[in-house]
Amino acid sequence: MAEYLTHEHDVLVIGAGGAGLRAAVEASAAGVKVALVSKSLLGKAHTVMAEGGIAAALADVDDRDNWRVHFADTMRGGQYVNSWRMAELHAKEAPARVRELEAWGAVFDRTVDGRILQRNFGGHRYPRLAHVGDRTGLEMIRTLQDHGIHLGLDVFMEHTILILLKDGDRVVGAFGYDRERGRFHLFRAKAVVLATGGVGRAYKITSNSWEYTGDGHSLAYHAGAALTDMEFLQFHPTGMIWPPSVRGLLITEAVRGEGGVLRNKDGRRFMFDDIPPLYANQTADNEEEGWRYVQGDKNARRPPDLLTRDHVARCIRREVREGRGSPHGGVFLDIAWIKEKIPNAAEHIKKKLPSMYHQFKQLADIDITQVPMEVGPTTHYMMGGVRVDPDSQMASVPGLFAAGECAAGLHGANRLGGNSLSDLVVFGKRAGEYAARFAKNNSLGKVNPEQLAVAERGALKPFEREGAEGPYAVQYALQAMMQDLVGIVRQEQEMLQALDHIQELKARTGRVGVSGHREYNNSWHTAIDLNNLLTVSEIITRAALERKESRGAHFREDYPAKDEQFGQLNIVIQKGADGEVQLRREPIPPMPAELKQIIQEMK
Amino acid sequence: MVEFALPKNSRVTPGKKHPAPETATSTKTFEVYRYDPNSGENPRLDSYEVDLGSCGPMVLDALLKIKNEVDSTLTLRRSCREGICGSCAMNIDGTNTLACLKPIGEVSGKVRVYPLPHMPVVKDLVPDLSQVYRQYASIEPWMKAAPPAEADRERRQSPEDRAKLDGPSDCILCACCSTACPSYWWNGDRYLGPAVLLQAYRWIADSRDEASDERLSDLDDTFKLYRCHTIMNCTKTCPKGLNPAQAIGEIKKLIASRE
Repeated sequence: MAEYLTHEHDVLVIGAGGAGLRAAVEASAAGVKVALVSKSLLGKAHTVMAEGGIAAALADVDDRDNWRVHFADTMRGGQYVNSWRMAELHAKEAPARVRELEAWGAVFDRTVDGRILQRNFGGHRYPRLAHVGDRTGLEMIRTLQDHGIHLGLDVFMEHTILILLKDGDRVVGAFGYDRERGRFHLFRAKAVVLATGGVGRAYKITSNSWEYTGDGHSLAYHAGAALTDMEFLQFHPTGMIWPPSVRGLLITEAVRGEGGVLRNKDGRRFMFDDIPPLYANQTADNEEEGWRYVQGDKNARRPPDLLTRDHVARCIRREVREGRGSPHGGVFLDIAWIKEKIPNAAEHIKKKLPSMYHQFKQLADIDITQVPMEVGPTTHYMMGGVRVDPDSQMASVPGLFAAGECAAGLHGANRLGGNSLSDLVVFGKRAGEYAARFAKNNSLGKVNPEQLAVAERGALKPFEREGAEGPYAVQYALQAMMQDLVGIVRQEQEMLQALDHIQELKARTGRVGVSGHREYNNSWHTAIDLNNLLTVSEIITRAALERKESRGAHFREDYPAKDEQFGQLNIVIQKGADGEVQLRREPIPPMPAELKQIIQEMK
Repeated sequence: MVEFALPKNSRVTPGKKHPAPETATSTKTFEVYRYDPNSGENPRLDSYEVDLGSCGPMVLDALLKIKNEVDSTLTLRRSCREGICGSCAMNIDGTNTLACLKPIGEVSGKVRVYPLPHMPVVKDLVPDLSQVYRQYASIEPWMKAAPPAEADRERRQSPEDRAKLDGPSDCILCACCSTACPSYWWNGDRYLGPAVLLQAYRWIADSRDEASDERLSDLDDTFKLYRCHTIMNCTKTCPKGLNPAQAIGEIKKLIASRE
């Protein structure tokens, strides 16, 4: 076997965002030796961009809130194809995870009596999002990072994983390289946790940071693990659309939680025009009631601007297509209007939404306290991912665990805002706990040198083709194609075309060349990322073709209605023996009576 | 008389010139520091004429355009593109800042882009920040306090006490301030620098933390703290508009007032 830099640990965590850090912290606290590998510098992972807050039924602001309401809200948002067990665990455990962050030093905005302040968000019945202004992700990642340093994790920053290693059926480590020097590293471990986040970089317009190239989805898939729900990709309704270079950057839902409203070019509050029956009982039917709600009136119902993200995104698309959009092809999001209602509105907005204020001031030269923003949908979050056991977060392959965005189940067909940060800590903790337990009961597996040699050769191939087409043109072509053909509104013919394009792009990727050498070579990294992007793009497209209905974030123009039959199943994807994508429909396990009853009560 | 000279390989030489495409209507020249430790060559300044007509408004847009369309070997860190991750910190037009927040239009004449000063360079615009990370860990940036009084409840903190953390807790650890500080350039191995001291202050100022005294004692050191000579470059350069110099001043006052 070739000599590689070799590291041996009990638990290897891949990804250092909220889920990875929380898993590493938990495993480390359980007394096992933990390695944490991250593609970027510590503290810069995508979690840092999370704005609005972390959802947990703390009942600090509204004492009617409890885990049962949070559970019902999450299931309703997910259109009932969620893993009910994960939704239950999440709703029950999120408050303890938030208090734990507080105990570790996280800063939160506070109520007058010093408790954690919670704000309204789309799809949540009560004010539920604990937050720090609109930079909650920064605070969360730093708290976890600091706590992890305190516990003494082995951190490998700027390392990229190429493949998961297998000994028989079991995952026994990973093989990758460090970006700084381009040296290959062998990570042997008794258990591996994937916490690599999402896939947004497969699309042209996205709120996601550069790291979101579907690495964990792809690693798990090639290691034989089952994925599920990959057709459910959330398009956040409010991304920036102007200037073009910042197109897709997120505008937090908190803008609407604080009283911001959506209007078309005629000034009409078009969200009142289409309120889905599932939400009719709990949605305000006039502007006055909507305003009372955001002001904290417990008897008022939520304004339709705060309906779930999938619905709001489609309403915006409708306004634009029917010619009622804003100058650059979006609609208006107006928070400045609240000056009609409250004194010192400009100061209030700056205090509640400081990052948004600066983001627009600096990037678009727009003062959001004075004029409306232009917004449009942006690729935001992958509900699908590695299929895991709800309690242990173990994948269908032993020794492999997954948590956070790269795992599936909690969010079903559509994620509620704020449920992502709580997902990271609830299931990050569980993944770390069960991975540590697995590590204690297993020894290091055998490494197959052939697997390493193949991965090394494959990774270095682009250097042999210096002068050939570089990776960026291929990445752009893929992003534009996925945006056009497998985007917010889908149909069979376009998705079949997408599959053809993916085959062409795979062939192009096989011919991509990079110049220079292995030391901190961005082009080389992109050439490697391309394989993951293509893998997830194909899986998304095939799963989206298979679900012949519209549900949550997945909208089919050729099947615009919900189909009862599809409401009973998840689409599961696995790599076949022939190396091709295999799909199967799996029935959702029956929900226990007590959970069913909660959903009935909260209707 | 003593003569000071830079090490031979630190002299920056002129580099390649990449003209704009002929179709370009309005162009701007970017001079970018290039260094490849593997080549054995001195660092050089490559110049790129960028067509502003097909480029976004920020310096990061221009750098990515260069990398994607002209010279794929150009190396930099970047991630969020909205000023919250701090990855793309570099020296632009003589000032440390985030490339994603720096409008090209604010720079008159050529746009000169260098890595953060006085740090070892990994490649091109990528500095080695391991010293900053080590120093950050050295201030023990975690809560030192008895567990919350009420089981299963969070600690209370009044909005007024919470407001004291506005500023220090907004820091994104991009290291622009520390690498703009002459004292840090000179004594970076022992002086903690403004970024890390701002974080030290964040814990001292936190009403929930019970180890202020211990933290202050640890900082009461000729090098760790007192190499700050209130030059104020840190505050001037902070891309988030924070005030590390003030936080350092507060730490000095707290130490002085307890003696």
